[in-house]
Amino acid sequence: MTALISTMVEAWSELRIHKTRVLLALIGVALSVAVLTTVVGVGNLTREGMRVDSERNGGREATLGVSVYADPSAAQAPDADRTASVLEATVKRYGFTHASRVTQAQGRFQFPSGVQSVQLTVVDPAYGAIHRVDIAQGGWFAEDDADRLAPAVVVNDAFYAAAGRPNLATAPQVTVLGSNKATAVIIGVMPNRYPEEMPQAFMLTAAAQAVGAAEQMPGMGPELRIWVPAGMAEQLVSVLNADLAQQLPGAQVSVHRSDYAAYGDPFAMVQLMVSGVAALILLLGAVGLLNISMVTVRYRVREIGIRRSFGATSGRIFTGVMMESVVGTTVAGAVGVMIAVAVVKNPWVESKVAPGLEDYPAFPVEAALLGLGAAVLVGALAGAIPALVAIRVKVIDAIRF
Amino acid sequence: MTSIFTHDDEDIANEEYLAGESPADNNDDSAPLVDLRNVTRSVVLADDQQLHILRGVDLQIRVGDHTAIVGRSGCGKSTLLNILGLLDVPSSGQMLFDGTPVERLRSNTRAKLRGSSIGFVFQQFNLLPGRTALENVVTPLLYAGRKEFWRRNTLGMEILDRVGLAARAGTQPHMLSGGEQQRVAIARALVRRPRLILADEPTGALDVETGQAVMDLLDTIATESGAALVTITHDLNVAARARTRYRLDAGVLSSSDGMPVNDVLMGVSA
Repeated sequence: MTALISTMVEAWSELRIHKTRVLLALIGVALSVAVLTTVVGVGNLTREGMRVDSERNGGREATLGVSVYADPSAAQAPDADRTASVLEATVKRYGFTHASRVTQAQGRFQFPSGVQSVQLTVVDPAYGAIHRVDIAQGGWFAEDDADRLAPAVVVNDAFYAAAGRPNLATAPQVTVLGSNKATAVIIGVMPNRYPEEMPQAFMLTAAAQAVGAAEQMPGMGPELRIWVPAGMAEQLVSVLNADLAQQLPGAQVSVHRSDYAAYGDPFAMVQLMVSGVAALILLLGAVGLLNISMVTVRYRVREIGIRRSFGATSGRIFTGVMMESVVGTTVAGAVGVMIAVAVVKNPWVESKVAPGLEDYPAFPVEAALLGLGAAVLVGALAGAIPALVAIRVKVIDAIRF
Repeated sequence: MTSIFTHDDEDIANEEYLAGESPADNNDDSAPLVDLRNVTRSVVLADDQQLHILRGVDLQIRVGDHTAIVGRSGCGKSTLLNILGLLDVPSSGQMLFDGTPVERLRSNTRAKLRGSSIGFVFQQFNLLPGRTALENVVTPLLYAGRKEFWRRNTLGMEILDRVGLAARAGTQPHMLSGGEQQRVAIARALVRRPRLILADEPTGALDVETGQAVMDLLDTIATESGAALVTITHDLNVAARARTRYRLDAGVLSSSDGMPVNDVLMGVSA
């Protein structure tokens, strides 16, 4: 223990004596670590933003899409009711907790400015969880919303604006012009996902059928979306394909993954490139530090010789030179990580990097640990080579250097 | 002024010394501290020829001895000093330190033995720049045992007081005169209470008066501590102070006891 403490005392003394050189070397390391950690942190934020965006489009990992089409060559194809009942029974039999029918359609609504046809997505309540629906006001559908006499609708902000932004608590009505004219109740408002987004509405399947609101888009049949454990997705695809094909003779069944991770991690390449850039930056910092360390050790040959004449063993000299480097880079690494946290958690940066996110994730601990670990590693590597040079110094020559 | 060599942790400096080894009886005053037996040192030159720096050197140094070794430049004085200080090993022959053949010791063991038993005083002082006088003096204690390490500042101040520089403990070397710097170097060499003090031209960078004062101090402290003092010099006055004198000529060491100093040095300053 005394040897360790005395080595640290010696290392600290060296850092103090050579503070200008140390500071210059460590500024480079601190900046490298800051850039490395920032790149990883921003990359993580970007990835999270892209993932959330992808989940809103294609569903969470792993979401299966089940489509059933009439086979034109078949003598007899199952009708829509038969298909619906088979799908419903299959969901129950497999015990899927998150499943939603999804139909893309056009719905006509009466707005203050006139009647407007908008994109209407007819869904079941589980759609909200599967597609990570974000609600700015009100809420998403609950199971009992299907029992409402006035059908519930969830709309986007463009729809809400077109409807005159009615107060959701007191006058949330909007008129649906389906086969039956009905007054719907806006129960939730989603933020627009991008500027200039067109009005969009969601309605529960039962309610849409009741009011005849959904004009199904040509070629767009109903689809069943099921959120399943990622590890079972591939197996379920083949099992469901076979199962449904057997239950629905005369129909073409397609079970496929619709989520972003269906064909592997789409962010892996981005992450790899980002990591490569970060590693290159760190390498540059390390080379700078190594360069300064080598010059310093050569400058300190005489001092090392003098220390060895006092009884410093080669191991002690090695540890001392290494420790100076590691102690310095650890401090620089901590500073670099703090700079990175300040940059990545800046609200302006967050809003620009991941505009789709409502709640920004905490600064990734792994990025902080990576930055700090990289700093220690750089310190060890940049210290090891000069330390090896130091212990090879011949005492006699060094004293006369 | 209280002697610093009377503090109670008498054995601290040697706690680490050759753990597991079996040195000769340290209490035997007649046993030499350093015993060189037919030591040679040679190096191979670029053209594969051997350069013999030391040839068959026999030398015994006992605790309390004050020895001067004189010789021309290039005669092998510093090589002999390096071997005595365990900084170098003989090419052949044997060197016993406290009865133990140093050739058998590993590099690290030699380093520890050097730290605990040998103090160096260099011609150019070799103080570490950027450190105060006290920090320089306590540097050897960073490599010492637990007790000495934790008491390093106390021990450092005691020895600085002994060399008359306690008031300049916080001064950096470049603010000290040559004589003061050499006194700091002496304090640093003695702070671990070595049994052998090796001084390489200790007055070489000083004027005559300052050199005499430094040698007075070195002699006094060496005598007081009972350490052996080996001085390598070509300064007549410094050589004259030694009780035992040797002359090194072309790598051959010869005893000059009983000879007039000027005769011993004849040819050295020529």
